[in-house]
Amino acid sequence: MKLELGYIDIKGIRFDDYNAIEDGVLVVNPDELVKPVLEDELIKSAHFEIAAPGESVRITPVKDVIEPRVKVEGPGAIFPGMIAKVDTVGSGRTHVMRGMAVVTAGPIVGFQEGIIDMTGPGADYSPFSQLHNLVLVMEMQDNGATAHEYEKAARMAGLATAARVGELARELVPDEVEVFETPTIAQSYSDELKDLPRVAYVMMLQSQGLLHDTYCYGVDVKRTLTTMISATEVMDGAIVSGNCVSACDKNTTYHHLNNPVIQDLFKQHGKTLNYVGTIITNENVYLADKLRSSDWTAKLADFLSLDAAIVSQEGFGNPDTDLILNCKKLEAKGVKTVIITDEYAGQDGKSQSLADADVAADAVVTGGNANELILLPPMDRVIGCLDYVDKIAGGHDGSLRPDGSIEAELQVITGSTNEMGFNRLSAR
Amino acid sequence: MSKYKLVHYINQFYGGIGGEEKADIPAEKRAGAIGPGLALNQAFGDEAEIVSTIICGDSWFNENLEEAKKTVLEMVREDQPDVFIAGPAFNAGRYGVACGAISEAVKNELGIPVVTGMYIENPGADMYREKVYIIETKNSAADMRKAAPKMAKLALKLAKGEEIGASAEDNYLPNGIRKNFFEKKRGSERAVEMLLAKINGKAYTTEYPMPDFDRVDPQPAIKDLSKATVALVTSGGIVPKGNPDRIESSSATKFGEYDITGVEDLTAETYETAHGGYDPVYANQDADRVLPVDVMREFEREGIIGKLHNKFYTTTGNGTAVASAKKFAEEIARRLIADGVDAILLTST
Amino acid sequence: MSAKAYKVVTNNPLVKERLDESVELYFFEEDTHRDLLERVRDFVHKGYRILTHPLAGSVKPWETPYRSVMITAEKEDKIDISSLEMIEQAIFALEKSKARPVVLNEKVLVDFQLIDLSLIQSALPSAEAQGRH
Repeated sequence: MKLELGYIDIKGIRFDDYNAIEDGVLVVNPDELVKPVLEDELIKSAHFEIAAPGESVRITPVKDVIEPRVKVEGPGAIFPGMIAKVDTVGSGRTHVMRGMAVVTAGPIVGFQEGIIDMTGPGADYSPFSQLHNLVLVMEMQDNGATAHEYEKAARMAGLATAARVGELARELVPDEVEVFETPTIAQSYSDELKDLPRVAYVMMLQSQGLLHDTYCYGVDVKRTLTTMISATEVMDGAIVSGNCVSACDKNTTYHHLNNPVIQDLFKQHGKTLNYVGTIITNENVYLADKLRSSDWTAKLADFLSLDAAIVSQEGFGNPDTDLILNCKKLEAKGVKTVIITDEYAGQDGKSQSLADADVAADAVVTGGNANELILLPPMDRVIGCLDYVDKIAGGHDGSLRPDGSIEAELQVITGSTNEMGFNRLSAR
Repeated sequence: MSKYKLVHYINQFYGGIGGEEKADIPAEKRAGAIGPGLALNQAFGDEAEIVSTIICGDSWFNENLEEAKKTVLEMVREDQPDVFIAGPAFNAGRYGVACGAISEAVKNELGIPVVTGMYIENPGADMYREKVYIIETKNSAADMRKAAPKMAKLALKLAKGEEIGASAEDNYLPNGIRKNFFEKKRGSERAVEMLLAKINGKAYTTEYPMPDFDRVDPQPAIKDLSKATVALVTSGGIVPKGNPDRIESSSATKFGEYDITGVEDLTAETYETAHGGYDPVYANQDADRVLPVDVMREFEREGIIGKLHNKFYTTTGNGTAVASAKKFAEEIARRLIADGVDAILLTST
Repeated sequence: MSAKAYKVVTNNPLVKERLDESVELYFFEEDTHRDLLERVRDFVHKGYRILTHPLAGSVKPWETPYRSVMITAEKEDKIDISSLEMIEQAIFALEKSKARPVVLNEKVLVDFQLIDLSLIQSALPSAEAQGRH
C-alpha cells in the first residue's frame, strides 16, 4: 500500500467566530465546534481551551491525545470503523496537522490520571508539552449511565472533533510530503529487497476491559486473533485508543498515528533492512488468550520468513507476560528480537523492573523508570481539574501540595515512559 | 578558586615498587601524584589535584584486612580530601578487591565520596559495584588513557556535590539502582539500531539486562544410594595442612583436588581451612565440620552409601567471581563424571 | 463437580454483586489486595491452576484494593509451576511502589471495583468458550 502524508505545520491556535487555517494558525469557533459534542446526551458539559508550548498551563486528567488528519485521496476516511465507514484505509493521500493535537480531558472514573504540563520540568517528559493543544474538557451526566458508556462518549467526541478540525486541512498545500509504501509478500522479494534482513514490527495492544481497550477498525482488540495490518493503515487511524489508565505508558491515538517504530523502520527500509510487515497482537487477561496470541505472533513471523522483529508494549503488569511470551517464542523460531518496554523499579530504582523476565529477552530498550519521583511546580492555569491528582496513579500521600505543586511519580505524566520508543527518556 | 583535593590509592606495582614479589609491602603514603595519578591529574586540569598517594601491597592489604583498612583510613583522614580515588585496578583481582574494600571503608567511615575503576570481570566488580562507584575499564592498563578522564569526571562531580547521572551517562558499572536519563535518540530509533546490531552479529548493550536466575534443574533422584559413589565438594576452603596449592583466602582463582584414600577422619594436625571469610577456629579444630569425611566413612561402613569417592574438591567461595566459580564447577564436574561418581555432597560455610 | 471449569477468587463486592449468580465465587470481603493474592497462592499450592493473570493491566497493583483472579474449578495432583511463578511475581510487584491513593472515597472505591469487575468480565467469554483442559 502506498500512502502520501502531506504535513500542514500548525504554529498556533486561536478562537474566533469562524474556522480556518490561516498562515499556519488554526482558527476555531469553539461554540460551533462544541455543538456536536453536546448532542451526546451523556455529556453534561463541554468546552474548549487552548494550551501552547511554554505557557504556564497544566492539563489534567487527560484521556486521549489525537492528531487531526483528513483523507484527501484514496478509499475511506480517518478512524474507519469508529467514526467513518469501515472501508480499508492506508492508500492515497492524507493531510496531517503537524504540531498540534486535540486533547480530551475530564474524569471518567475517580482515580483517572494523566498530566500534561506545558512548561517546567514536567514538560521535558511529555511529548504533548511541545504541541499546540486544543483541549476538549468534558463532564459526564450523572444519570446512571455506566462508566463504559461514558468512556465511549468521551472517546467518540475526541475522535469526531479531531476529524472535524482535520477537515480544515483538506484543501491546503502541505509544507512537506512524505511517501510510505508497504510491500506485498512478492514485492518483499524484489531485487532491491531480497538480500536485506526481513524485519517485522510486532505491536502489542492493550485489551483488557474498561479503560484498557484498543480498537482496530472498530473491533475491540481483545476479541481478535493476532493479525497483520499495513503500516499505512495505522497512519490513517485504523487503530485508536480507548485507554484511559496508565498515563505514562498507554499508547494514545496520537502515538498510533505517529507510531515511531513504524517511522524508524521505514527510514531503514530498503537500506539496511526489509520492513516486510506489521503484526498486531493483544494483551488479554485470560492466560490461554495470552498463550494463543503469542503463539500466533510466532506463527505469523514464520509465515513472513522473518529474520528479526521489534516488539513494542503497552501498559504494565500482566502485559509484561505477553511481552516476554512474544519475545521468547519469536527467539525460539530464530527471529532476532528487540523489545521496547518501560520499568517499575520503585522510587529508589532498586526493585526488579518488570513483572516477568526471561533470558531470551537479551535486547531491551527501556522508556525509563515510571516510579521515579518528580516535583511539578504550580501552574498559573489548570485546564480540567486537580481534584483527581491525589488519586491518580503515581500520586501518593500528600502529592498535591497547598501551593498547587505536585510531588508524584513520573507515571502521572501522559506519554512519559512510552513503550513504542516515542521518547528519548531511558534508564540504566 | 582553590583546587579540590584528592587522595589516590594504588598498589605496589603501579606505585613503581615492584611486582608480585613486593605484594606484601605495607601501606605507605607519598606526597603528590604517582604513576596513574599523573594521568588523573592531567584529566582534572586546574579543577583538582592529587595531594597524596597511598601505595599498598595487594597481599598485605588482603591478608591483613582490618589492620590495612585502619592504616589506610588514618592516612586518608590526615589529608581530609574532597574525594578519594582508588585504582583503576583493570583486571587485577586482588588489587580490585582492595580498591573496592578501601573505597567502601572511606565512604562509610570517613563520609568522603569515592571513585574506583576496574574491568567488569574483576572479582572486585561484583563484590563492590553496589557499594561504591566503579568506573568500567577494559582489562589492561592500556586503557588508562580512556579510563582517567572518566574517573576524573565522576570524581569532580562528586567533589562539587553534583547529581550523579545514570550508569551509562557517568560510565560506572550498573549498581542495581535504575536511574532515568535522556538518551540522544528516541527509543524506537535505538531499537532499530539495536536490532541491526543483533542481526549483524555486532556488539550491542541491552538497556535492561534481565535478572539472571541461573536455575539448575534438579537431577533425577538416586535409585539406590547403597550402590552409589558419593564425592565431597566444598566452597568452605578445607585443604591439607599448609595449603599446598596456595588456594587464596578470598577471590579464589583455583580449586584443589586431594586424595583421601584411607583417611577416616580430618584432624587439626592434617587439615585446615584456607577460607578468609569466616572464623576459622572451629574448622581448623576439626575440618570434618565443613567437609564431613568422618560421617561419610561411617555411612560407607554401614552400607548407607556405596562408597566415598577417593578425592575431594575444594575452593573458597569468599568473594570468588561467579565466572570463576562456574569455570571451577565445569572442570570439577568433568573429572567427577570421568571417575564414575554418582552423587555429590556439596558443602559451604 | 461444579458446573463450570473455573471459579473466581475475589475480594471485590461488586464482583460478588454482579457475578454471584452466574459464576462460582470464593468471596473474601475482608481481604486486602495482598491477602487475596496470598490466598490465590494457597489455592495454587493445593493444585489449582490460575486462569487469569493475577496482575491487572496498568491499574497499578499498589493503587487498587481490589483483585479478582480466575482459577480452575478442580485441583490437580501436582502444583502448576507457571501458576506459582506468576502469583509470586504478582505479590512481588505489589510491594514495589510506595505510591498509595490517599483519598479512597466511596466514588473512587466503586470505580476501582468497576475496573476489577471489567477485567475479570473480559475473561469470561474466553473461559466460557473453552472446555476443561
